[in-house]
Amino acid sequence: MNYSFDFASVFRNFGPLWDGLLVTIQLTIAANAIGLTLGFLLALLVMSRWAVIRLPVTLFIEFFRCTPAIIQIVWFFYCVPILFNVFLGSVTMGIMALGLNLAAFNAEAYRASIQAVPREQLDAGIALGLNPFQRILYIVLPTAVRNSIPVLLTNGIGIFQQSALVAIVAVQDLMYQGKTLATQTYRPIETFTIIALVYFAVSFPVSQVVGYLERRREAMAS
Amino acid sequence: MSDTAALVKIEGLHKSYGGVIKVLQGLDIEMKAGDRVVVIGPSGGGKSTLLRVLMGLEQIDSGSILFSGKPYISANGSGKTVIDAKVRRSIGMVFQHYTLFPHLDVIGNLILAPTKVRGESKAVARERAMALLTRFGLAAKANAYPAQLSGGQKQRVAIARALMLDPKLMLFDEVTSALDPELVAEVEQVILQLAQQQMPMVIVTHDMWFAKNIASRVIFCAGGVVVEDGPPEQVLGDPKEERTREFIERVFHIKH
Repeated sequence: MNYSFDFASVFRNFGPLWDGLLVTIQLTIAANAIGLTLGFLLALLVMSRWAVIRLPVTLFIEFFRCTPAIIQIVWFFYCVPILFNVFLGSVTMGIMALGLNLAAFNAEAYRASIQAVPREQLDAGIALGLNPFQRILYIVLPTAVRNSIPVLLTNGIGIFQQSALVAIVAVQDLMYQGKTLATQTYRPIETFTIIALVYFAVSFPVSQVVGYLERRREAMAS
Repeated sequence: MSDTAALVKIEGLHKSYGGVIKVLQGLDIEMKAGDRVVVIGPSGGGKSTLLRVLMGLEQIDSGSILFSGKPYISANGSGKTVIDAKVRRSIGMVFQHYTLFPHLDVIGNLILAPTKVRGESKAVARERAMALLTRFGLAAKANAYPAQLSGGQKQRVAIARALMLDPKLMLFDEVTSALDPELVAEVEQVILQLAQQQMPMVIVTHDMWFAKNIASRVIFCAGGVVVEDGPPEQVLGDPKEERTREFIERVFHIKH
């Protein structure tokens, strides 16, 4: 291999990459805000005893879980404006697509931990005279939300990585800036290596935190 | 509804799971306020189900339960169980597997129901909680989380938590079965202490020594019916029924 590496030309143009990273972080935070709140709501609805509520919500969740994220994003960008006559900025559209996708995955995380709260905990709540609403609020949710944190973090940082997909619909995120830079400098290897390292540098600490939380939870459970 | 009225009056209690597995098949039990009832019997005989029904945790097929002469639980015609929630609040229960709330510390576990159900102020509830914990030798653990406690400590906290609501009747469902042998005594001590203070209680246990020491009355339950019912010396020492005798012999044989 006779390739001579030239990282300098990438570093000279770090300004656009930095701007791209900020857009990516903005997408991640906004999508997580949607994912954490809407996901919680969806989890409650999907456990409803009424099929009228349960079925459409299940369909919504499974649609996002069972189709590729890239299709969801493309569909959003091209179909929503036509079908619903809604025209939003590209970043807003990106946030919507990523946020709804994350909400579907988080809903499943919430649901699993809510249903994992042992039946006896609720029996104890009845024996102590708490009404159904109080049992959910003071017994089920605190435990369930705590137990779902590692999965929520994993999903959240997953969206940070998935957000690279919005580059294909011209959102000027880290990936988009990288592609542009690679074309301008004729240095795709260096550019994409550095971009990969940036994604890694943000994701890795989070995955370490998740590992720590899981180990701690196991220790607490024993 | 006079003082001589039964504290608990169970009549014709039937309970099955899906109509197929018949757990309780016509129980009649009358319990006076001074009674400390120990229910013994083979597993699957309906002991724990009886306690769970008494706590209002289960649907019943037919029959009724009166508490202090007032209707508490009954099955109406359409197969629905009607439970008086107000009466239910005067009964406390301790479970085999502690069931402390893992996200709350010991004090938090104790004051949750008093503050949320009765609207008691946090300060007052805390004070009462500390008094109870001190009595049970747990004052030092007030701010510990359940995961940091031994099984015996957890179970004593669970008892204290139930007592915070000033129950008129306490139900103990195999509360020492999950404990290491050396921790059983500290929990039984606390229950004996309550017995001395005339707390009416129904206890399901496999510990015959404990049964003998605490019971004013022993009920042998098998196949979903009361087989024998009497003072501990008689039911445990000289049972009339053949099934009781067989069971007692088998249990004591394992013990010694």
